[in-house]
Amino acid sequence: MAHPPPSGSVVLMDWYRSVEGKGFFSRIKRKEKRRIFGLLEAPPIPPLINVDTVRYKVFLSGKSGVGKTALAARLAGLDVSSVHYETIGIQTSVVFWPVKLRDSGQVLLFRLHLWDCGENALRRFDHLLPTCKEQLDAVLFLFSFTDHSSFDDLPGQIARGCDPSDNVVKLVVGTKFDLFMHTDVTEREVKAFQEQWAVPVFCIGGDACDDLQNVAPLLNTLAELLWHQDCVTVGAVPANESAVGDTSSRAGH
Amino acid sequence: MLQAGAVQLLCLTASSGVPLFCRGASKQLPFSVIGSLNGVHMFAGGQGVQLFNCDTDRGGRVLWKVFHDSVMLIAVTGQRSDACGNLQLRRLLDNVWNCMVLVLGLEELTNVRNVERLKRELRSCYQLIDTFLDIGKDWMGDLTHCVECLLPAQPAVLQDTLNAFAQAAESDFGCLLVHGKMVVATDKWWRLAPQEVVLLAALVRTLGGSACCDCPIFLPQGSPTVPHRLLRFQLLPGVNVCMLCGPTPTLQSVEGELVVRFWRPLVDMLHGCQALHQRCFPGSVGLHRDVLALLLINRESSRAVSSVHPAPSAPGAPSPIRRWELLRLLFTFATTRYFSQTEAPQKGEQLPPPEEFAPGFSDQPQQCYLVTDECKFFALQTPQHQLYILTAVSVPTFALRPLATRTLSTLTDSTGF
Ligand SMILES: Nc1nc2c(ncn2[C@@H]2O[C@H](COP(=O)(O)OP(=O)(O)OP(=O)(O)O)[C@@H](O)[C@H]2O)c(=O)[nH]1
Ligand SMILES: [Mg+2]
Repeated sequence: MAHPPPSGSVVLMDWYRSVEGKGFFSRIKRKEKRRIFGLLEAPPIPPLINVDTVRYKVFLSGKSGVGKTALAARLAGLDVSSVHYETIGIQTSVVFWPVKLRDSGQVLLFRLHLWDCGENALRRFDHLLPTCKEQLDAVLFLFSFTDHSSFDDLPGQIARGCDPSDNVVKLVVGTKFDLFMHTDVTEREVKAFQEQWAVPVFCIGGDACDDLQNVAPLLNTLAELLWHQDCVTVGAVPANESAVGDTSSRAGH
Repeated sequence: MLQAGAVQLLCLTASSGVPLFCRGASKQLPFSVIGSLNGVHMFAGGQGVQLFNCDTDRGGRVLWKVFHDSVMLIAVTGQRSDACGNLQLRRLLDNVWNCMVLVLGLEELTNVRNVERLKRELRSCYQLIDTFLDIGKDWMGDLTHCVECLLPAQPAVLQDTLNAFAQAAESDFGCLLVHGKMVVATDKWWRLAPQEVVLLAALVRTLGGSACCDCPIFLPQGSPTVPHRLLRFQLLPGVNVCMLCGPTPTLQSVEGELVVRFWRPLVDMLHGCQALHQRCFPGSVGLHRDVLALLLINRESSRAVSSVHPAPSAPGAPSPIRRWELLRLLFTFATTRYFSQTEAPQKGEQLPPPEEFAPGFSDQPQQCYLVTDECKFFALQTPQHQLYILTAVSVPTFALRPLATRTLSTLTDSTGF
């Protein structure tokens, strides 16, 4: 399995904190919260700045109650429900995320379309999973720190969520990291998993105020892996070396 | 045992009384009480008596209803609160049953082979059911069983675009909703049962700010055993276009190829609708500022327009949430006491007799009013419409009737509703 590029080698991980970055991020925010865009809308980008929008489809996979809907809401800056209501079908949300490439200095606007499907709905209706997997760019595999069986289930999930031949970016997210009193999965286990599968693992939890800081590491890494993957696909970089940010080959994506 | 105003909803298997779920009031009734509530209904049934409802001496109220000989729903309220009249509770039970059918389909609910499994499956209905139990609602389709509408300034363009969009997606069923209120819909969508349209609007409300959805659903009246796909696209925050589809097209293809193509040219008009969502009728229709809230029902089409912001209102008036509450009360008051039922009973359903209006009178009242120290109410009906208004206390009582009559003609003349 090809190793992902070292974290931060393709995109600037801290860019959202810089003065320049803040100028872009202000366009996806309204007051202190995230701005919600309808499908007919997009963040206003000043006309003179050359910013390409790149679109990706991301599927959230994991057991019922693991926190898929909560994670999608958190990433999109929507209110997170404190009760577990089963999702009765596919529900998608759009996240706009500006990113600056390390080498070329080019700014890209990622439009991440998150696909969340209730696990019980998936089980009851056969047509849903194929729809979710169609033309997929990335999968977030979720487990909950409070439920060891959801962690044990990861290899099975990975097998179900994407075919080995797919060029699909994989990321693992451990939810409910804030409930450390009830933690059922140890750090050592997570580390071992990460090494064996060569998949980055993120820990999420706590108050989901829309602080960019909460979601930036995950979204930046996702953007980095997606971009790297595309560069590999078009042959701009070899599969197992760090990406070289050749953005020209992606223009007009 | 229950808080004032709170409704507790119990669901049991009809044959054996096994509890399936409880929703509502935070403190659940003890198991023994649930058992007795089931027992008394069963006992009555054994004596050839159908038990509809009862009032307790401490002012609580219980309502029973069995659906398809399979599931029994019981609504229990705490202290007497008029907001939980029989009409409201009966509607609630019907709505909850419809929620269950919508999500799980009739088969699953009537052919129960494994009760534990059914219990698990029913959890997926909770979100939708809870929207009907929620007290602080800013809508009332659950009570009126009429489709709540928003009347846009230029419906024709929106209608044409919706028809073309639905056609391009191979669907006959499409509608445009703004904050759960119907702006335009295709002919076929209007031919769904009003309760179904209300239910679908409630479902869309639960989906909140997400961008798109693709939900398998059953139509309680139209298609209770074969699922359809509800596709929904959020064009602008709060502005959703929905469609009912078969196996095709995919969500992705509609989102990628059709949504922007058809709707982008109308974005300004959609923003206009978004801005109307509290008022619900065009700004060009001027109403008297003493009208604090109104509900207008078209009895033929089972459509309604309701608003607690019909005009810029005087200071010191009740809050919007309170106005919704009062409007619901007024509707319940007028329909249970004076106005006849607007809808025919569902097939096989026996309605308990309406509360009696001045025994001995055979007349059908056409208007009624109510004066409280908080505000005044007036309701009137014509063969085609019912209008309910809530006014400031300062309006002289003798002026209520002309105000209501004028409001009705202003609204219907200018919008054709
Ligand atoms: N404390 C804490 N609670 C969380 C976290 N993530 C999710 N939850 C809670 O876990 C419950 C289930 O989360 P959901 O996101 O609804 O679960 P889901 O994976 O979408 O489940 P299905 O739709 O049934 O497949 C909810 O009550 C959430 O509030 C977290 O990071 N921390
Ligand atoms: Mg969910």
